[in-house]
Amino acid sequence: MLLLFLYISKPLATTKKISLSEEELVSKLKLQDTVAIQALYDMYSGALLGVISRVIQQTEVAEDLLQETFIKIWNSAGSYDSSKGRLFTWMMNIARNLSIDKIRSRDFKNSTKNQDIENNVDFIDTQKEITFNADLLGLKDMVKSLKPEYNHVLEMVYYKGYTHVEAAEELNLPLGTVKTRIRMAIIELRKHFN
Amino acid sequence: MEEVKTYIESGILELYVLGQLNDQEQREVEVMAAKYPEVKQEMEAIEIAMEQYAIANSVAPSKDLSNDIMQQISGSGTFQSVEVVLNLPPPLEADNTAKVLQLNADSGTKIRNLRIALVACAALLVISVVALFSARTELGDARNQIASLSADKEKFTSTVNFMKQNNEDLQKIVNMNSDPNWKTVNLAGTPMDPKAKMVVYWHVSANHVMMDNSRMALPVNDKDHQYQLWALVNGKPVDLGVFDVNPDTATILVNMKDIASAQTFAVTLEKRGGSPAPTMDQMIVAGNVI
Repeated sequence: MLLLFLYISKPLATTKKISLSEEELVSKLKLQDTVAIQALYDMYSGALLGVISRVIQQTEVAEDLLQETFIKIWNSAGSYDSSKGRLFTWMMNIARNLSIDKIRSRDFKNSTKNQDIENNVDFIDTQKEITFNADLLGLKDMVKSLKPEYNHVLEMVYYKGYTHVEAAEELNLPLGTVKTRIRMAIIELRKHFN
Repeated sequence: MEEVKTYIESGILELYVLGQLNDQEQREVEVMAAKYPEVKQEMEAIEIAMEQYAIANSVAPSKDLSNDIMQQISGSGTFQSVEVVLNLPPPLEADNTAKVLQLNADSGTKIRNLRIALVACAALLVISVVALFSARTELGDARNQIASLSADKEKFTSTVNFMKQNNEDLQKIVNMNSDPNWKTVNLAGTPMDPKAKMVVYWHVSANHVMMDNSRMALPVNDKDHQYQLWALVNGKPVDLGVFDVNPDTATILVNMKDIASAQTFAVTLEKRGGSPAPTMDQMIVAGNVI
């Protein structure tokens, strides 16, 4: 009771978003501290919805998937192993896999028309508010400056649910080339961000 | 080193980060990352790039989606402190303080519990002390009662003994009167004290000599003197023992020394412990055997 009182007595007017270090986030998440999920939402809901929206364009469905993603993050927090990768990578893959599962599901296929991969980025860009950070304002140019064929492979693998093997078959390219193109695309991104 | 470089350049780390590898391939990458810091570093650089890319391509969710999600999570019942988190989206600083507050709240509860315990202990102590004192007082009362009862008992016992003795003595005197062997000798006062008198019983065959306190009227002797009983045997005085006269003498019959034959009994006042021969001018009573 006393604890609850102390919490309630704190000023609630503040709208500042939660931001925690990755170690804090992980330990709180594993302890099932809801502060962690609140912080994750504040920090990454936009980025995750960005990923989901690349796969599924319908806002409502995408937001449902975002919700599903956070519930899955919460429920399977115990299985996250920080030695195997960053927390965001783990969350991003959860969001992406849920989205791809959804887009492949029968009820979804029945209710929507598939859209061309190439149109996805433009579609999202025109339909949704993209929240760029101020220091990343050159991004659109950068993404455009990527060689289209590199970007295409990354998009297929990352957003369309193709395995790299499937992408190689689809594009009629050797597997090594697909791998190299994915690597080159990401190196371009790294150049920009690092 | 060259091997590591080739490994990195193969693009497998990118596929790992993109979740493109099967379980076995994933484990191989994890082994390599654990073994070579360069691999780990490269992997992190890829992860950060993808993360930054995703952040840069953020799409803001609807405002009330956050609440929906938090409600879903709180509805799942798998976490603690539902109401706390639902009530507030605490800021970063607030989170740290929240943690501290939590500890404070815990220790506050503990301190409160300890205080209650302390008060309870103090109350118990006071009650115990009061109980102890009351028990002690009662015990003292009981002891006093026991002491007075036991004093009463002693008094009664001694009274009973005294009365028993008296009874026996009186019975003996009654028997003496009917027994011809017992001679009752009345000793009368001499000119020294005409009012003095006493009675001596003498058993002719068994030679016993007894004085009767109940029928004695002699002045109380002082500390330096004692009365001495004599028997006159053929004109010669024989010592039969000394005795005191005091007003609270308990017994009735007093045994004196035996004598085989006597014509007269007499009492003289002598120095304490008696004298070898009677002081004739100190003879207070005398009487002949009839």
